[in-house]
Amino acid sequence: MTVKPRARAAIVQENDGLRVRLEEAEEMLRAIRGGEVDALVVQGTSGPRIYMLQGQDAETNRIRGEMLANVSDAVIAVDGADCVTYLNAAAERLYGFAASEALGLVVTALRETRWHHPGDEAAARTALWEHGEWRGENIHVTRDGRELNVESGVTVLRALDGQTNGMLAVIRDVTERKLHEHNVVVSEIRYRRLFETAHDGVIVIDPYTRKIVDANPFMTRLLGFSRDELVGRELFEIGLPEDEAESQAIVRDLKQFNQIRYDNLPLRSREGRRQDVEVVANLYEASGQPVIQCNIRDISERKRAEEQVQLLLAEVNHRAKNLLAVVQAVAHQTAKYGDPVTFSARLSDRIDALAAGQDLLVRNLWQGVDVADLVEAQLAHFKELFGTRILIDGPRALLTTAAAQGIGMALHELTTNATKYGALSNGDGQVRIAWQTSATAKPMFSMSWLEDGGPKVAAPTRNGFGKIVIGRMAEAAVDGVVEVVFAETGLAWTLSAPAENALARSEAGVSTSFNHDAR
Amino acid sequence: MKKTSMPKTRSKAAEIVPAAPDAAHYVLQLYIAGTSSRCIRAIANIRTICEQYLDGRYDLEVVDISQHPALAEEEQIIAAPTLVKKLPLPVRRFIGDLSATERILIGLDLRELADKAAHAAGGGLL
Repeated sequence: MTVKPRARAAIVQENDGLRVRLEEAEEMLRAIRGGEVDALVVQGTSGPRIYMLQGQDAETNRIRGEMLANVSDAVIAVDGADCVTYLNAAAERLYGFAASEALGLVVTALRETRWHHPGDEAAARTALWEHGEWRGENIHVTRDGRELNVESGVTVLRALDGQTNGMLAVIRDVTERKLHEHNVVVSEIRYRRLFETAHDGVIVIDPYTRKIVDANPFMTRLLGFSRDELVGRELFEIGLPEDEAESQAIVRDLKQFNQIRYDNLPLRSREGRRQDVEVVANLYEASGQPVIQCNIRDISERKRAEEQVQLLLAEVNHRAKNLLAVVQAVAHQTAKYGDPVTFSARLSDRIDALAAGQDLLVRNLWQGVDVADLVEAQLAHFKELFGTRILIDGPRALLTTAAAQGIGMALHELTTNATKYGALSNGDGQVRIAWQTSATAKPMFSMSWLEDGGPKVAAPTRNGFGKIVIGRMAEAAVDGVVEVVFAETGLAWTLSAPAENALARSEAGVSTSFNHDAR
Repeated sequence: MKKTSMPKTRSKAAEIVPAAPDAAHYVLQLYIAGTSSRCIRAIANIRTICEQYLDGRYDLEVVDISQHPALAEEEQIIAAPTLVKKLPLPVRRFIGDLSATERILIGLDLRELADKAAHAAGGGLL
């Protein structure tokens, strides 16, 4: 084919132009690939649009992208069909999905959602619909079955034209925090119950204001104030101590030493009732704030017990001295009136009689001796005769210590006499021992020892110690009157005394029927 | 429209026949998008070239297409920054921050001037 020179020149020129444009196109591609351009101009239906590739907007977007990728909260974006369009590294870790695996999946493939309360889900959907965002807590169950307590912020994404085109969720795993909160609640309940049910008074004080900020129920009972009345008061206002300066000194000392203990403080309740209390106060920090905790223990019972022990010790001492004095007198009188040859045996018998009464006193914790027990103890050698030749009859009655000693010694002497000369010296005699308390305005205690059926009785020719024991000593023990009749049929011994002298206080006036034979 | 002209002299009509590079008047347009550091570098680079090789015989316009995309469409600009040599013909386009001076000089037909300047400078060293 032949080409005219003019046409050839045009073709060459056109080729040169095309070559230049091709070079330009190649250069442009190279520049774009090499990241040398900031923006691209793209023709759209409504005209050209500028897409920034570099520059401030792109830099901002890049930084935002970096931030999303690196934040510790999980970030997930979904499109209008709930398919995942973005998830950051934290979301990959949280749900155990790689981004490459998760992108394009429906978000429910990553996790299921459970709600804490019925109605929560509907409320969340309403918030998204009406306000375009929702913040709240629910539970995400991962593909491998982990239950995560999460706190989420979900925002509806919209295009420039305002159309909804997806959602963005920022999700924080609060499982550990929830567990911690749960443990705190459990702990709070446990210690609150300890506080509420403690049998010590507990008050909590603000060390700065020195005012009570909390008090447990036991404390309100101890003082007679309600909790509301206690809160806001200072220690001295509830009488612990009663002096304001001392109250301030307690707080000052606590700030210095952190702990104070008072073994015995008098505390007066609202009604004026005095109570002895032990106070242990500690200053410590709670949630970064110093607080004073006072534990107040009512030691009134303990104090009473201690006082009783002291009283008993003094009483034991007193009684021991009395007993020694009695022993001394018995020994003296036994030596004075009796045969020196039999002194040892007689003294021993009399001390045994004393000891028998003493044993009963100790057994009854010095609270008195039952008359029947005393009779049985003194006639223990004749136990087999009880109910036949020895008849015992009387109500339950507790003798005082002195009465038990005096009457016990008298019973011993009467027994010894009956054994030697009276109703118990033959095979037929009987002894009737009886006692009673009269139910009169001024009750009287009376007791009798009546012998019958023994050898014929003759009055003793001389006054031995035995007669003193059954007479004057018995009278002295109860501040009463003793009558001894040496009738031919048998000896009759009767004692009469005001019940308040003979009987222990709780027993005076009591007259419960008691028959030994019936026991 | 952000449009910077420097200097103010500007040819009204394109010449058909290319003039000799050391005599022709150059009409240049630099299309940028925003004020990124790359755009600023592109402006500085073309200004240096103009002042060094086209002293007093060039007209440079800087056009920001991010504000007015329609201007880009008119000149068939598809990326920024782009330098368009409107005159002398033929029209040439250069993409990027114009830091490859050698390539730009060749594209602007200023290679010869550059060589002369180099020789002059080199003579000074002899």
